[in-house]
Amino acid sequence: MAEALKPKLQIPLVITLTILGFFVFVPMISAFEYSIRTPLEGGYGWTHYLWAIKEEDFLHYIIRSAWLAFLTVLITLLILVPTITWLHLSQSPLRVFIDGISLLPLVIPVVAFAVGAQISLPEFVQSTVLELPFLYFILALPYAYRSLDIGLSAIPLKTLTEAARSAGANPFRTINSVIVPAIRGSVMATVAITFALSLGEYTLTVLLHWDTFPTWVTYVAQDNILGAIAISMMSLIIPFLILTGLTLALPERSNQGRK
Amino acid sequence: MTHLVIEEGAPTRGRTFLTFPIKSFLPALPLLLVIGYFFLFPITKLIYVSFLSNENTLTLGNFVTAFKDPYKTGFINSIKIGLFSAAIAAVPGAVAAYFIETRGSSKLRRTIAVMNGVLANTGGIPLAFMFFAAIGMQGQITKILKALGWDIYAGQFSLGTFTGILIVYLYFQLPLMIIIFSPAIVALRREWVEAAYNLGASQFNYWRTIGIPLLFPSFVASFLLLFASGFSAYATANALTVGNLPLTPLQIGGLLDGNVSASQLNLGKALSSVMILISALAIIPYLIIQRRTSRWQKR
Repeated sequence: MAEALKPKLQIPLVITLTILGFFVFVPMISAFEYSIRTPLEGGYGWTHYLWAIKEEDFLHYIIRSAWLAFLTVLITLLILVPTITWLHLSQSPLRVFIDGISLLPLVIPVVAFAVGAQISLPEFVQSTVLELPFLYFILALPYAYRSLDIGLSAIPLKTLTEAARSAGANPFRTINSVIVPAIRGSVMATVAITFALSLGEYTLTVLLHWDTFPTWVTYVAQDNILGAIAISMMSLIIPFLILTGLTLALPERSNQGRK
Repeated sequence: MTHLVIEEGAPTRGRTFLTFPIKSFLPALPLLLVIGYFFLFPITKLIYVSFLSNENTLTLGNFVTAFKDPYKTGFINSIKIGLFSAAIAAVPGAVAAYFIETRGSSKLRRTIAVMNGVLANTGGIPLAFMFFAAIGMQGQITKILKALGWDIYAGQFSLGTFTGILIVYLYFQLPLMIIIFSPAIVALRREWVEAAYNLGASQFNYWRTIGIPLLFPSFVASFLLLFASGFSAYATANALTVGNLPLTPLQIGGLLDGNVSASQLNLGKALSSVMILISALAIIPYLIIQRRTSRWQKR
């Protein structure tokens, strides 16, 4: 029995990761191999990547998707952090209601949401691409809300706010320089999920007839399939690298996850 | 006299009376407005419109059509793909989550969490490309298997069929399972294992009487979420099929685009409403179980 308490062998973990890695990386590497083929010369090269980068629309749509994602993150943090902080502090009866309603977007299939948005939002909203960050905000809401909610539950929020207030900080300053740093793990997780979701969102975007990077890839695929595979590869690898960099750069809070 | 007393008491009472209702919802107003306008309003309108005929009178006609072919087959296929993809991904995902969370180092866990976040969100054309490159007609794995004497294209198989889509869906369903099941594993306290062993339990006993009963509700909840995810996926199915496999999300997309015309203008809305209902039947129990299990999962 005592051996159960010893540090366990890593063999099951290695087996698990091998199987998972195989399933995840084989399709990825296969597609990568395709994307560096040069059918004309018969060897390998970066032709399709260079083609993609030189494409005029490539940069245009990357920038567009990036700033839409950035706006979504901004809206998410600006609305959610103060609201959830307030809900935690005030013990408002609204908290139960908002807790519930923030999970509701999980219930609605994105296709149905797209139909609903199309038939109900007025012309002046649907004629601007700025509707997308708000709709992406809704799609990311269940994850963003829960992540921030858990983060705020884990810190002594009342003590911190009172301390900040007695040190002369206004509510804005309290949130900005006391609460956000205290829950930076949750904030980063929220940024990551919201950013990734907005960058990759396809269904809602295409059904509402907007063009972003993911819908552009579909369009390009009709003309230059290998080029489109190259673009797809980049659209997978770039967010992955950015997010991994972000997560690993942040030191893990020592009191999170263990006690 | 009485009049005077009331006046004296007025300032404090008046202030609490005035500030209470404002304070009780004003800070939540931006969130409530955005949710109301961009979410509750569209969904309410969608459900309302699904009961309207072409002449804007109330009718159930849209729903009658929605439950007839080809839409009936669409629902059956979508439900089947949700169930099958969830069933296949659930157990391996749960086991993987267990080993990663209990045996992995902090760096490894965080890297895998990010990877899963990205993978669970892959879909559409990029995902379709990866599988065309691996097990498509000219795919790498297809060629290797053929060299080994197994031609996977000898039968009916293609990526656009039910089986093909099912395999591709696992690519985002497995990471999703790991993401949503991990918190339950993390919440299993080491003290419980130690206590069980101290009382003389074997590993089998521990799992039979403590581990599995504790994890089972979270497992069911995860399964339900996976079902909803597979049931309502659009982008990937759209990239893989060419209209050969009826799936409800694709049928709705077709009606919305105007690529498919129906005599009933609001048929797409009725299909969407039925989708919401089916999805709600899975997600609401998921949320209830989540809420209950999070009580003991909180430390």
